[in-house]
Amino acid sequence: MATKLSPQRPTSGPASTAAAAVTTRLPAGVWWRTYRHHLRLLRNTAIAWTVALAGIGAGVVATFEDRVPTEAARAAADALEGVPAFEALLGRFVRPGSLEGFVLSRWTGMFAIAVAVWGMLAATKLLRGAEQAGHTEPLRAGALSPRGLLSSAVAAMLTWFAIFAVAVGATHSAAGMDAATSWALGSAMGLLAATLAAVGTLASQVAATRRRATQLAGTVLGAALAVRVLAAATTTPDWVWWATPFGWIGFLHKVDEARTAVFAAFAVLVVLLFAAAFGFARRDLHAGIVGGTEPAATQARPVGGQLGLTARIAGAAVAGWAAVLAAAAFVFTVLVDDFVAIWADMDVEAAAIYEQMGYVALDTHEGFVAIILGFFFVIGVALFSAAQTAAIREEEASWRIEHLLARPVGRVRWLVTRTLAAAIGVVVLGVAVGVVVWVATALGGTALAFGDALLAGVNLMPAALLFLGLGILVFGLLPRLTAPLTFGLVIAAYLLDFVGPLLELPDGLLDVSPFRHLAAVPASELDIIAALIMLGIGALAALIGVAAFRHRDLKEA
Amino acid sequence: MPGSEVAAIRFVETTKHYGEVVGLERLTLDIAMEEIVGLLGPNGAGKPTAIRTLLGLLKPTAGRAEIFGIDAWQHPVDAHRTLAFVPGEFHVWPQLTGGQILDLLGAVSGGYEPAFRDKLVERFNFDPSKRGRSYSKGNRQKIAVIAALMTRAPLLVMDEPSSGLDPLMTATFQDCLREAKAAGQTIFLSSHILSEVEAVCDRVAVLREGILVEHGTLAELRHLHANTVEATYLGAPPDLEGVPGVEDVQVRDGRIRLHVTGSTDPLLKALARAQVVAIQMREPTLEELFHAYYDETTHAADTAA
Repeated sequence: MATKLSPQRPTSGPASTAAAAVTTRLPAGVWWRTYRHHLRLLRNTAIAWTVALAGIGAGVVATFEDRVPTEAARAAADALEGVPAFEALLGRFVRPGSLEGFVLSRWTGMFAIAVAVWGMLAATKLLRGAEQAGHTEPLRAGALSPRGLLSSAVAAMLTWFAIFAVAVGATHSAAGMDAATSWALGSAMGLLAATLAAVGTLASQVAATRRRATQLAGTVLGAALAVRVLAAATTTPDWVWWATPFGWIGFLHKVDEARTAVFAAFAVLVVLLFAAAFGFARRDLHAGIVGGTEPAATQARPVGGQLGLTARIAGAAVAGWAAVLAAAAFVFTVLVDDFVAIWADMDVEAAAIYEQMGYVALDTHEGFVAIILGFFFVIGVALFSAAQTAAIREEEASWRIEHLLARPVGRVRWLVTRTLAAAIGVVVLGVAVGVVVWVATALGGTALAFGDALLAGVNLMPAALLFLGLGILVFGLLPRLTAPLTFGLVIAAYLLDFVGPLLELPDGLLDVSPFRHLAAVPASELDIIAALIMLGIGALAALIGVAAFRHRDLKEA
Repeated sequence: MPGSEVAAIRFVETTKHYGEVVGLERLTLDIAMEEIVGLLGPNGAGKPTAIRTLLGLLKPTAGRAEIFGIDAWQHPVDAHRTLAFVPGEFHVWPQLTGGQILDLLGAVSGGYEPAFRDKLVERFNFDPSKRGRSYSKGNRQKIAVIAALMTRAPLLVMDEPSSGLDPLMTATFQDCLREAKAAGQTIFLSSHILSEVEAVCDRVAVLREGILVEHGTLAELRHLHANTVEATYLGAPPDLEGVPGVEDVQVRDGRIRLHVTGSTDPLLKALARAQVVAIQMREPTLEELFHAYYDETTHAADTAA
């Protein structure tokens, strides 16, 4: 390296070492290394999401012929095009009786939401999360400018989204779907991830903490989904689909001839959002417009003891989740009259096909509410449980737990208190959703019976409590895997329940998912036996987890 | 220490292994009531392991650790009723204010005197009204120190307690330790600040690679190690060949510098035979003692390599 230096520079001794160090700190080299560092940070999650989504999507392609085997079935399925109830669930779709239309309708539904959440979380974790944890400081102290650092993170995210897009295009094409549609789908989903990553990036520049950034970006995501639900209603004009990226992906079918417009819309939005994020990037470290200043809290009330602390930590989380779930429940169910009326007029054969797929009694208010809750809210409350176990683990990983356990607070008491607080949180969320459903249906025109609405909320609890117990079990036995394993279990069980039948997996395997054992309340009676079994397994798992925690070392991150 | 008296802290063959890695190996150490004992050792010596095992946060692989006669792993809650703990790095609850954190830790410790807390808050020049996330490292450490001191617990266990404190606050902290000792509290602290240990501790224990290599009063430790002798002479240098305990002799420009271990009598007799005009003898500082142990570690590692 010394031979590359200019003749005026010393070529030996400490000075040459310093000069060599300077040459390796050229911004291009530093940018490239930082980019690779960011790629590595994102790698595991990116691979997991890519393999799962591309694989499941390709499975849907491969099993289409078995699922919709006859011309009559295809015609019946095609009849569902434009039905608001399904568009509220799955987004806009056309020709669901064709292979392309069928697969695209799956992607516009839950897959698109998963892709969006991935993009959003990747950005807030990589940007504000790293900054908050102090990882950004050494990088900012290096040769890269704030915008250089941001660009390397953005490039890393875009790289993984591009790989994801290629994986979706290639697997779907290989599984038998029209190549152009496959690649269009892959590109659009990559762009959707990039869009929400851009939202997360902008939120990470604006908000001063990762939590606040995630809340901000999550609110945008929720609003975009709410617009999609509104667009599905018959009373709203068609252009509303174009008001949300979740609407754009409904125009990918070749019959719409709108792919160019979709890609252009995504490209413009992504560029604008990233440009805005770069505009905010030259700021103080750890600073932000939202939540950046900490008001003096001289009036802050005492927390009290461990119970008070638990109530405060869990209470804040419950309030946040309850607000989001209640808002979503309201948006979905306030339009219930509109959806149910359309369904009631549906062709009998088409209705039969969808009943075979589990969508029963959609022609009643109870049926529609049961489907909506089963589709979105069961997993929502279960994810709350997973988040609570992750928060419990975070107390240990950060060693804050040491302040309590080095004092006269027993481990068992600490963990049982935290677990019960989380369980109470699950109950609060269930009740909140039930009450909001009742209010929203009443405002929509036809109120459910209050008891039915409340039971529908209660039905969200058993699976969530089961996952809470499993999360505590993991915390007791494998503490470092608490968050990934518990979230992984919830998502795997959900995918198994919703995608498993499409992939024609054996019943024995499908039955492993707790979600499969939930009754369609309020259209059906609450399955008390299944609920008690889930509660029993959850309680047993939690007990084992508590016992294991009592007898193990505390473990840092 | 009287045999009938219960020790404030007792490590009994306390061993902690992390798989193949030795964290602590058969540590046996008693700390009497009202003693201040410092725990020293280079990085990786096992100091946090010793303290966390004592607190019942880590399960001993063998042996036990007791606090006032109570097994810390078997009965942690009872053991913790008599102690307050200061960690080396204090991770705060970001959403709570400093005042709320102090109140919380006081409440779970079994209570505290608000007036004494306020006095400590004033002495440490601490602003309790800010949220946890906005405190600097030094201010976070002040929370830990105040929270421990304000409970007036009979036993204070501290892991690098003054880490992050500025020199003024470090001095205030040391004053507080002396007052705590005067009030009859027992203190067990690990520290890298040797002057702090030297200033406040009655006894010192030195860990190396999880093994207790030395413990005793500073005077006892010094007795085991070489004193530094510097003498000025006229004419020929003193003949120190074969004088017991003498090593590292350096002679230059009429001055001689050496280290002597054990009795100094043979050395003084040898020096008396020369024309020595001035002599100065100095005991090793704690830093020199520490370096002696540390250098041995490094040397042993180099030899093994």
